[in-house]
Amino acid sequence: MKNYALPVAVGLVLGGLVHLTSTLAMPRLALVDAFARLERLGPANTVALVPNSTPFAAILPRMDPAFATAVCRYDLSNGAVRVRVPITPDYTSVSFYARHGLAYYAINDRAAGRRAIDLHLMTPAQRAALPEDEEITAADRLIVESPSMEGIVFIRAFVRERGVMDTVRARLAESICSPVS
Amino acid sequence: MRVILILIALAVGTLTGLGLTWFASARSNGFGAVQIGAWTAWPKSGTAESDPYARAAFARSGELPLELADGIAFEATSDDSGSRLDGRCDTRIAGRLPLARFWTITIYDSRGRLIDNAAERYGFNSSEVVWNIDGTVEIVLAPRARGGNWLPTGGRDRIGVMLRLYDAPVGLGTRSGESVEMPMISQVHCP
Repeated sequence: MKNYALPVAVGLVLGGLVHLTSTLAMPRLALVDAFARLERLGPANTVALVPNSTPFAAILPRMDPAFATAVCRYDLSNGAVRVRVPITPDYTSVSFYARHGLAYYAINDRAAGRRAIDLHLMTPAQRAALPEDEEITAADRLIVESPSMEGIVFIRAFVRERGVMDTVRARLAESICSPVS
Repeated sequence: MRVILILIALAVGTLTGLGLTWFASARSNGFGAVQIGAWTAWPKSGTAESDPYARAAFARSGELPLELADGIAFEATSDDSGSRLDGRCDTRIAGRLPLARFWTITIYDSRGRLIDNAAERYGFNSSEVVWNIDGTVEIVLAPRARGGNWLPTGGRDRIGVMLRLYDAPVGLGTRSGESVEMPMISQVHCP
């Protein structure tokens, strides 16, 4: 019995290391994470409406059925992306997630202008490369820095009554998510 | 003999390591849980300071965490006395709700899917729910139709409830315990 004590002890220490490594690696190794699920909806840098969840089909688990949802998978490798979301009658919010799901920024209609949430999404390097003398600086436009080259813009609007779901969805479909020309 | 011992060490290591990871990512969304009654929230998981356990759990489930700047999501899988929520029972969620611009309450099955029902009723929001005169709310989760704020459970054995408070005051995610009033959950009738 004593013979096995050492290998088991070594094994447990090893187990701790395996646990830490696998936990840290999981966001990169997960095959069906949110980004992969949303890839089905369309190409990068376009806005796609997310079909409302039903008991039989849902793009992402545990979405809030009281919301209309649209999404833009962005790719900043060819430059910054402009995101413009029209304000809906109730609550409108835009959430930003990095490639592996890190929630790094969110804005809602309370913090935004009267008619739309309008911003430029770029990497820290792209922001640093912005010409300084450009008239349109931070005061005029909101700049959001993405920690990763790719990521998710999650656009959501509260639907107070079911009857207006289609109207709210149509409004969200007017959102823009496209490279800054 | 030595080879066998090394193999034992490797096997123990792999099993405990991956087992722990599997368990941790299925059960919890990381550190910093805020627990109020039967409700638990992980406010940090919706921020850039999200810890590795939270990131692993969300990557695995494919869910996107609710951003803290957007709102805070409380979930419950058991009632106030600690027994697991059972869709074959009648469960009462009653009381006052914390201050927020609005809230939604949604019922899911054990895999995070909505529960099929003829009324397509998957939850309530703060403007469609029927409020009591004293400002409290009472919602009943039950397998069979009933009056008032009824959420169909479809008779599933395991169910979960999510209460999402949108545009909630910043303090809600940091305060813990008694200072915030959350609705009580109790299973009132089990067949």
